Amino acid sequence: MATRFMDPHDVPTIPGTEGWETMYPYQYQFSKDDPERSAFESSQIWFYDGLHYPEPHYPFDLIWDEAWSLALSQYNTRHFMVPPALGIAHRIVNGYVYISPVGVPTMEEIEKRVPLFVERAGYYYENWDRLYENWKKKMTAVLEQLEATTFTDLPEMEDIRIIRDGVGKGSGYEMLKKYDELINLGLLCWQHHFEFLNLAYAAQVTFFNTADQIFPGIPISTLVKMSAGMEALLFRPDAELISLSKLAVSAGLEDVFAKPLKAEQLMAELEKIPVGKEWLSQLHKSRYPWFYISTGTGWYHTHISWNDNLNIPFDAIRTNIKALKAGKEIGRPTESLLKERDRIAEEYRGLIRSDDDRAAFDQALSVARLALPYAEDHTFYVEHWFHSLFWGKIRQVGKVLENAGFMENADTDIWYLKRDEIKQAIWDYTTAWATGIKPRGPSYWPKQIARRKEIYQKFKEWTPPPALGTPPEVVTEPFTIVMWGVTGDVLKGWLAGPEEGEVSNEIQGSPGSSGVVEGKARVLMSVEELADLQEGEILVARTTSPSWAPSFVKIAGAVTDVGGPMCHAAIVCREYGLPTVVGTGKGTQRIKTGDLIRIDGDTGKVVILERAKA
Amino acid sequence: MEEKEKRLTLWYEETDGKDFPLVGKKNANLGEMIKAGIPVSPGFALTIHANNRFLELTGIKGTIETQIETLGHVTFDTAKHASAIAMELIESAEMPALLEDDILENYDRLCEMSQCPSCPVAVRSSGAVSMPGQMETYLNICGEKDLIAYIRKCWSSAYNTEAIMYRMNKGMPFLFNIGVGIPKMVNSRVSGIIFTINPINGDMSKISIDASYGLGEAVVSGLVTPDTYLVDKVTFELIKLVVGSKEIQCVYREGSSDIVETSVDEEKRVTRCLSPEEVKELARVGKLIEGYYGKAYDIEFGIDGDMEFPHNVIILQVRPESVWSKKEAAPRTERKPDAMSRIVSQLMTGVRLR
Repeated sequence: MATRFMDPHDVPTIPGTEGWETMYPYQYQFSKDDPERSAFESSQIWFYDGLHYPEPHYPFDLIWDEAWSLALSQYNTRHFMVPPALGIAHRIVNGYVYISPVGVPTMEEIEKRVPLFVERAGYYYENWDRLYENWKKKMTAVLEQLEATTFTDLPEMEDIRIIRDGVGKGSGYEMLKKYDELINLGLLCWQHHFEFLNLAYAAQVTFFNTADQIFPGIPISTLVKMSAGMEALLFRPDAELISLSKLAVSAGLEDVFAKPLKAEQLMAELEKIPVGKEWLSQLHKSRYPWFYISTGTGWYHTHISWNDNLNIPFDAIRTNIKALKAGKEIGRPTESLLKERDRIAEEYRGLIRSDDDRAAFDQALSVARLALPYAEDHTFYVEHWFHSLFWGKIRQVGKVLENAGFMENADTDIWYLKRDEIKQAIWDYTTAWATGIKPRGPSYWPKQIARRKEIYQKFKEWTPPPALGTPPEVVTEPFTIVMWGVTGDVLKGWLAGPEEGEVSNEIQGSPGSSGVVEGKARVLMSVEELADLQEGEILVARTTSPSWAPSFVKIAGAVTDVGGPMCHAAIVCREYGLPTVVGTGKGTQRIKTGDLIRIDGDTGKVVILERAKA
Repeated sequence: MEEKEKRLTLWYEETDGKDFPLVGKKNANLGEMIKAGIPVSPGFALTIHANNRFLELTGIKGTIETQIETLGHVTFDTAKHASAIAMELIESAEMPALLEDDILENYDRLCEMSQCPSCPVAVRSSGAVSMPGQMETYLNICGEKDLIAYIRKCWSSAYNTEAIMYRMNKGMPFLFNIGVGIPKMVNSRVSGIIFTINPINGDMSKISIDASYGLGEAVVSGLVTPDTYLVDKVTFELIKLVVGSKEIQCVYREGSSDIVETSVDEEKRVTRCLSPEEVKELARVGKLIEGYYGKAYDIEFGIDGDMEFPHNVIILQVRPESVWSKKEAAPRTERKPDAMSRIVSQLMTGVRLR
């Protein structure tokens, strides 16, 4: 078996995508112009970040990749001085992001960083609760500022108030400034995102490894059960839907909901009756902020939130109402989950025979429990709430440019511009507006966008190799270990190459949630298709988001392309007692809607028993 | 209901550990296991009192007493002679109707319960005093006629030469009544061994199950590579499954207690032999047994092909785990003064990739 992956400089360009590099920042390219940089690139392991990016990157959406590249790395390298680990380097190949953990080169330097890390990280662990409270205040301020930002077309003439108040500046300037502020808010939000996360993962890795030393082979899912908080924020949107569904039942509104109406029409119907009005006011309270939950991971602009498409939560409410009327228990038994968490931890503790091991277990568990609620809850603030609002603001910018003729359809087109190019387009638009002439944009951008759409389509049809470059002996970077689950075994699997399984009826993934089930597959490529799910089907998706939880009362099991035993789909399915296989890689490609499949959540095996009739 | 002391037969679930003077140790032990929630093969016991009634009603008791007295002090030679006389008397005597009716009534009920006419049973001796391996156990006995015959054989086995010599050495009387256990033969579709720890590394948080098709002999004596299921003791999640090759299985030769090896179908070899539910149930029972006895255990089980889940999970034999339980628990982690030093040390170590 090979010991290294393809050299990152040798990945061929996909025919027809020549010049794709201009869609992304120059520093993201693997390049041979500098021999030193080139040698570094060849000596590192680069793995495809499929966990965050199941799809190729839209030029604009790369903003979050750049934001985390800056933030995660700086906290390791410059803030907390993590002894053996620097940051994570980023590159892009044929539209797909590859990342690589960077180590501290010499033992001497590592040793020097130890006391600094103890002082700095120690301060955070000791003052965790106070600092975290402060973090929430900072995040709330960022969110308020974001919410207050709006973009509209430039006026024919400045308002008389501008003259009378002696404002002395114009709407064009304001738009340029606001766009910068919007981008800066995004970057700031990501600075906050990693304030605690590196330390939270370090605590988690420590707990995982300590427990694994004591109980070899203990599943990560069990470790999570012991150390996790309850993902309280991420489950709140589902809880809101359930209470709205119960309210609809107790107010006798089932008949209204039973009508096959779109959200908007349904709301108009409810507006006509007094109890309906009350229900709507409750809905309003739930929507802000809880309906900012993304229907995906929040990393792509295509991951819209419930607030962007109310049909999604309304369909879920319908499903809930049916389940309630059938006498089903719905929702998440938080209290019993907490009890279960303590029972499991206590029982494991009771199985430790050595006093030293018991002390180690206690130390590691206590700090993991301190840190983990952050690791779970920050996602709602950043990837869901902030991102959903942020994508909406960029759509507003797009609308302005669309109205000015820079693109045909803001919703689908603006993402093909890099964020700096949008700034340039705003310059073009505002200066032309100021001068009273035609901007160049309308003759320039539509062609660019059309070309980039072609390239993007080709990227989509390409399968990125799981890794490039040279594997190291040891990985010390906490994220690489916890988030991406990069271990020796995983690399070995990658090196062994893709399974020659195209003719076989079996797909191997990882166990997500225990149990075996057979059923008709329903392959969902986007959240809009959730409504198609039929009772008893097995959901097959790239990945799932917390906002999909309402559908879980319907399904018999789930299969995802991406994710490990800690991923959201696995956690939710365990709570719902649904057999689940995660991380199949190509489940959504190999399985077709209507296929009869059997999934084994204990072994991670998926078998296609019978193909759907064409 | 008649007083327990005067009963001729008792179902296992009617007995417990304290009843060994009535039914013998093996039987009482099974009663105790049922009481603790441990599933054993259904069956009933013939009491020690029943053995005594047999000897009384057939007149054998009197005959033996007179004949043995004439033998005088028992030596090796006379023991052999005494054994021959006693065994011949017991095995050729007619079963008194009082006993036969009671036994067959219970046997019919057992056949009905197992939905299996002429249900195969074991006939196991069960003394109130331990006499290791000196009395007989007969397997795979089918139908009323054979059952009655083998019960007599079982009773008579208490008078084999070794047993008589043993008792003489201990100063015990010549006449010795024993209990007999009559459990349904487990029709093992699958059988194997549960360890309530990971036998590879002594990890207490795991339960390890080795299982293969047919009778347990194949697994116990290493004739096959069984499936190995490693289950988490706390959550009952299946952590690791290694499907073994399981080429052959041991089964009883039709209508006999001889064990023969047969080949396992290709398709069955590569398939796991225990269902997820069965694995979970075995782990649950293993944990229960460990909790009951307060230490790690080594357990033989069978999955009965005649019965439905979860009644098909049958515990055949239990004994304390003997390797890891004797070792002192060595720490597996490094000692650290506080959580912070533990985190630093973890970060420095990282995760080895090769």
